[in-house]
Amino acid sequence: MSDASRRSRLSFHGAFALIVATQVLFACVLPEAACADQALDAIRQRGTLIWGADQEGGGPFVYPRPDDPSQLTGFEVELAELIAAHLGVKAQFAQGQWDKLPDVMDRGDLDIVLNGYEWTPNRAQRYGLSIPYYIYELQLLGRVGDESLMSWDDLLKPIDGRRRKVSVLGGTAAQDYIEQLGEGKIDLALFEGATDAMEATELGLSGVDANMQDLPVWTFYSQGFPRLRPIGGPVGRGYYVALTRQADTDLLKAVNEAILKALQDGSLRRILARYRMWNETQMMRGLETNASGGFVGSSISGAEVSDQPADVPTSRFEQSSGWQVIWQRGGLLIDAAGMTVLLSVTAMPLAVLIGLVIALSRLYGPGWLRIPAACYVELVRGTPLVLQLYLIYFLLPKLLDTMFPGAGLTINAFTAAVMGLAINYSAYEAEIYRGGIQSIPKGQMEAAISLGMSKALALRRVIVPQATRLVLPPMTNDFIALFKDTAVCSVITVVELSKMYYIQARSAGAIVELGLLTGLLYLAMSYPLSIVTNRLEKNLSQERRS
Amino acid sequence: MIELAKIVKRYQEHEVLRGVSLRVADGEVCVLLGPSGGGKSTLLRTINGLETFDSGTIRVGDVVLQATPGPERDKALAIIRQRVGMVFQQFNLFPHRTVLQNVTEAPIHVLKQPPEVAVATARRLLERVGMLEKQDVRPGSLSGGQQQRVAIARTLAMSPEAILFDEPTSALDPRTTAEVISVMTDLAAAGQRMIIVTHAMSFARTVAHRVHILHAGTIAESGPPEQIFEDPQTDITRSFLSEAAIA
Repeated sequence: MSDASRRSRLSFHGAFALIVATQVLFACVLPEAACADQALDAIRQRGTLIWGADQEGGGPFVYPRPDDPSQLTGFEVELAELIAAHLGVKAQFAQGQWDKLPDVMDRGDLDIVLNGYEWTPNRAQRYGLSIPYYIYELQLLGRVGDESLMSWDDLLKPIDGRRRKVSVLGGTAAQDYIEQLGEGKIDLALFEGATDAMEATELGLSGVDANMQDLPVWTFYSQGFPRLRPIGGPVGRGYYVALTRQADTDLLKAVNEAILKALQDGSLRRILARYRMWNETQMMRGLETNASGGFVGSSISGAEVSDQPADVPTSRFEQSSGWQVIWQRGGLLIDAAGMTVLLSVTAMPLAVLIGLVIALSRLYGPGWLRIPAACYVELVRGTPLVLQLYLIYFLLPKLLDTMFPGAGLTINAFTAAVMGLAINYSAYEAEIYRGGIQSIPKGQMEAAISLGMSKALALRRVIVPQATRLVLPPMTNDFIALFKDTAVCSVITVVELSKMYYIQARSAGAIVELGLLTGLLYLAMSYPLSIVTNRLEKNLSQERRS
Repeated sequence: MIELAKIVKRYQEHEVLRGVSLRVADGEVCVLLGPSGGGKSTLLRTINGLETFDSGTIRVGDVVLQATPGPERDKALAIIRQRVGMVFQQFNLFPHRTVLQNVTEAPIHVLKQPPEVAVATARRLLERVGMLEKQDVRPGSLSGGQQQRVAIARTLAMSPEAILFDEPTSALDPRTTAEVISVMTDLAAAGQRMIIVTHAMSFARTVAHRVHILHAGTIAESGPPEQIFEDPQTDITRSFLSEAAIA
């Protein structure tokens, strides 16, 4: 994982560009947070340094511990603890979707981001970037026994008139490197997970010949992919840095001090060595930090770093499989399924309720209400759920803060997720309700008002109860869909079943076993609903026949 | 007393009602007859506001209903609808409630009667229309005639000063028509004021105090049934009666 690794799903690029534009707008409108230079005080007062990363990225960065998957391990976990200790506080991990971590930090939910983010000039303008804690390189990987691909030169040669295909993480430095090198002479296959890309290469899926991988990732996972081998030496050097908000210069300085100290006293080397990440490149680095925390790059010779015993116990990828992995990690998946259920059963009733109000507004509301209600439906239905979640989670707090300055109104991720799901589905439920209400014979309303009922009473006692019976089957259907759509909530840091599956499957390398279990859990949640739907439909058709 | 004065209703350019005036005295059974499309149902439905009209006034007791929409008309309608019940061609019972609940629904939720009182009244009315034993079933499992009898009980539960019947037997077969007509005849005998739109001639003849022939949006002839059926005064009535006899 490096650079803008896994930056947004490609299909949503447009949407996010829009959001970024909106955010820039907001940034212009909103006064800069007045809490500059107080971040460190706040952290000390709180007693915890909240650092963000994505477990899904896996080893050796941050991943569930193989022997106890409910705990985290990884060199960044240790580094975070080291930094926190330097600040005199405890490290507290916060899960977030990798490409959204800086946004989550901007929102104020994280103090720092520590997750294989590469130093880039753009990023340096937008965030406070620490001195590098690791110098990574890229490694080209080919299949063992593939005689046609032995060197970088081979990569540029077409074979049987077909260009070579290299798998990379989408939007990463690896992708940039291959694109620049290949100049159209090499094809790319974009993946979202580092191990997925390696697996595809090993199996030769979709004609992939090679994989361009971050070296530390390869070192960590090499045992899990015995049919891959490195080609040539490491290339394309880059720097992993910690991110802070730009205003938090005191925090950045403290982080830099911690990293520098760890560099000098050898504790960083010990951490890196545990994950087989220590190498020549690290020794060749020249680093210095100036008073304001800038990375200027001077010289600390490798010799100054005290030598380490060669037999440091090391961590590396441990593939687990079969019943063992299910036994070990199934509990975590079941817990995460609990979150899926909780999100669904909270959001769906809200969606139905909002939907009903919207449908009634459209059908019976006064003129000034009908048009906004119709617009609501079109707007919500016409935009992706992921965008709505994003707006609610990242932009709504800013809006609230502008409207009620100092009120300290915040929306936590769970609330935002429930709101997003409820709003998104309310548009569909509104349309279902509208159809249901319209299919009630006109005579029902006439009979009700002829009995002296007001329109509202007639709706409540006569129309809506009948419509509700009609709409129950399609709504149960939607409920099943919502169950599965909860997976999208991982973009706003909610870990539900799908996200937990990706985290666990990638760190354990047990894609099949855990995938089956995850599927089974989804089925266990949705199948009872299917039965209910069928039964409702049957009852309804019987009623209509009689 | 219900009085309609110069009721005019247009659908775009077409005048459906052309200044119809009509008076229904207390305790009177009034039957509207006439060819289809003559405006009978439309006229009936203007009385409780299911249809709007363009000019004229409707008076129900001391309440005056104007053509102009607005809060005043809404207020008048709210009172009229509690005083004037309606029975529909398609019964329009509430399918999600039992027979008994259909009858108690409005008394409990509109008149705010205590449920015990509403239930007792409902049972008595269901007894009267011969539907008490079906009180716990849902309308879906009843025949058309049975449903219409329940619908009549439902209307009666509001103790209406008048009941509007909009072709109450047109959707029924002859046998069940007889059930409903017998219930309506009983009501007429008991002095219930009714305005009935129907095609059932012999029924009209037996129960009506006054018959109005509605043709092309105007009243062609009004009079007691003896006059209308035995000594019609206009050609319209005569041709309508002869066509009805053939049909």
